[in-house]
Amino acid sequence: MSLPAQQGTTSLLDRAGTGRTLDAYVVGVVFLKDGLLAAALGDGRVAFIDSESMNSPSFVSVHDGACLSLAVDPGEQRVLTGGDDARLVSTGTDGETTEIAAIAERWVEPIAASRASGLCAAVFGKTVSLFAQDGTAVGAFDHANTVGGLAFHPKGRRIAAAHYGGVSLWWAKQSTQEPKRLGWPGSHLGLTWSPDGKYIVTAMQENELHGWRVSDGADMQMSGYPTKVKSMSWLPKGRYLATGGAESVVCWPFHGKGGPVGKAPLDLGRGFEGLVTVVAAHPRHDVVAAGYEDGATILVQIDRAHTVVVKRPGKGSVTALAWSADGRHLALGTESGFVGRIGLSDWRTPS
Amino acid sequence: MNQIPVTVLTGYLGAGKTTLLNRILTEEHGKKYAVVVNEFGEIGIDNDLVVNADEEVFEMNNGCICCTVRGDLIRILGGLMKRQGGFDGILIETTGLADPAPVAQTFFVDEDVRRRTWLDSIVTVVDARHVVQRLEDSHEALEQIAFADVILLNKTDLVPADELAQVETRIRSINATPVIHHTQRCEVGLDMVLGRRAFDLDRILAIEPDFLSEDDHEHDDAVKSVCLRTDRPLDGVRLTEWLQRLLVERGQDLLRTKGILSFAGQDKQYVIQAVHMLMEGNFTKPWSPDENRESRLVFIGRNIDELELRQQFDACIA
Repeated sequence: MSLPAQQGTTSLLDRAGTGRTLDAYVVGVVFLKDGLLAAALGDGRVAFIDSESMNSPSFVSVHDGACLSLAVDPGEQRVLTGGDDARLVSTGTDGETTEIAAIAERWVEPIAASRASGLCAAVFGKTVSLFAQDGTAVGAFDHANTVGGLAFHPKGRRIAAAHYGGVSLWWAKQSTQEPKRLGWPGSHLGLTWSPDGKYIVTAMQENELHGWRVSDGADMQMSGYPTKVKSMSWLPKGRYLATGGAESVVCWPFHGKGGPVGKAPLDLGRGFEGLVTVVAAHPRHDVVAAGYEDGATILVQIDRAHTVVVKRPGKGSVTALAWSADGRHLALGTESGFVGRIGLSDWRTPS
Repeated sequence: MNQIPVTVLTGYLGAGKTTLLNRILTEEHGKKYAVVVNEFGEIGIDNDLVVNADEEVFEMNNGCICCTVRGDLIRILGGLMKRQGGFDGILIETTGLADPAPVAQTFFVDEDVRRRTWLDSIVTVVDARHVVQRLEDSHEALEQIAFADVILLNKTDLVPADELAQVETRIRSINATPVIHHTQRCEVGLDMVLGRRAFDLDRILAIEPDFLSEDDHEHDDAVKSVCLRTDRPLDGVRLTEWLQRLLVERGQDLLRTKGILSFAGQDKQYVIQAVHMLMEGNFTKPWSPDENRESRLVFIGRNIDELELRQQFDACIA
């Protein structure tokens, strides 16, 4: 696949997309089945929009406060949201809401869902709670500190929680267990598990990433960021880990022996203003979507370092990016409430 | 995105923090606050957003042993920013046994917090009747006074006037810089507590070393203030190098440092502000032509050798 060629200053949003405002901070966007786009908002609402027209969104008031986290339900017909009202809620596209769990005084973030196992997980402060697809609680794991990052193993039977001092690994369906610990001093805020299950990477308070090879706990540090990394996304087959937090899209190589140890990262998408806030790797191709703090959004092709502008600056920092499952559509959201969608089905290979 | 002011309320157990908080929340001021507390129950105001926090103090993994931050605050402040236009200010109530340093350092260290909020001031409520005893048996009570920008000397009705004067002198010997208000049941104009901009380099000028009278060193408090001053211009390079070295070597003992400095060959005031080892310095407004260009530097901390600091400071005179 090749990206469409950049045409002057025209963005893909102008050429092959459409957008609208939802009037509240966009916490996250996800594609559901049937071309519906869902957005979780800072005023507690969830919006469902036809991604083709982007017209007539339907809003559901879900949380009393702000939505803090968003995930697609493993069945892909509903969304899960965590709020600062201490509730984890499942919302259907028809507006029906079901409270899955509530723990008083605990903000619910982050949350994660696994299509492979049908499980979902939500952090209530220091507790990671696991739920089956019907909402039944199937486990709860306590930690000494608040959990900042959460991810399932690709097969969905194990879950990793990042916290102060490192990571705890839990088996999803084992009632009594001691977690496997991956330790490293400092505060671990975000977490991702590589698609092959071999590596866990956390984003730290100290503007760096820390990684472990899960099999033997071997450590790796990835540093040099000017700010905290808040977004990480694996390219297909886990060849690279794309990250935000720098003035370019920093992609760490994980395809060789030893992962990124001793290797320089790719440094793509330079020449745009400000810092990359969100990254989202294409589900099938070596292409990364990156949103910047000035609102600009680009697509960058890993091997050719070719970039094309998705959205020009403006409308606030990019806070959310998501690809449709088939990789033909990209959705984005900003802190000022703008959501946009571009279609990539009519890409032409540049000659 | 507008930056939101944050006020930190500290005070030892029973000093009257919750009374002050309730006063701020119930008084008619047309403003809406998000309040970060450690336990629900004692306050509960419909109009305001109350967030429960665990004081999670994290060491930064950056080789600086006294550099601690409040991880819970970083998370909470980030979450609050998703509610646009929801409130005008944030109040953080710390527990009675909390050291204020990690809260203050959070505002120096975390860029997201700095970008979206600014630390307005640290307000400490002090029980006039019991504070002297507390200072004997609690280092937290000492630190809370040492870090204060504003002190409410509360429950003054329970203490005779001469004793109150002694208490105030004692507080000043620990921290020469705060504005002190005498209160009963924390009754004070809210403009004396909120919107002080005490951490704003442009406004740090309220250093009044005259409060420090030379003859009250009878208390051997672990924490004290030292004020250095000179009318002669300083060598800017020498002074900032000295300060940086001093804060690296002695930052654990130096709780807060503030200064307004006059550098040779420079028309603008150089203003510094530090919490332990974390320092910010900047040229701010120009000295006015009719102003006495007096440099003032205040250290608040433990194990301070005043003579040694004075010699090192004098060695920076241009």
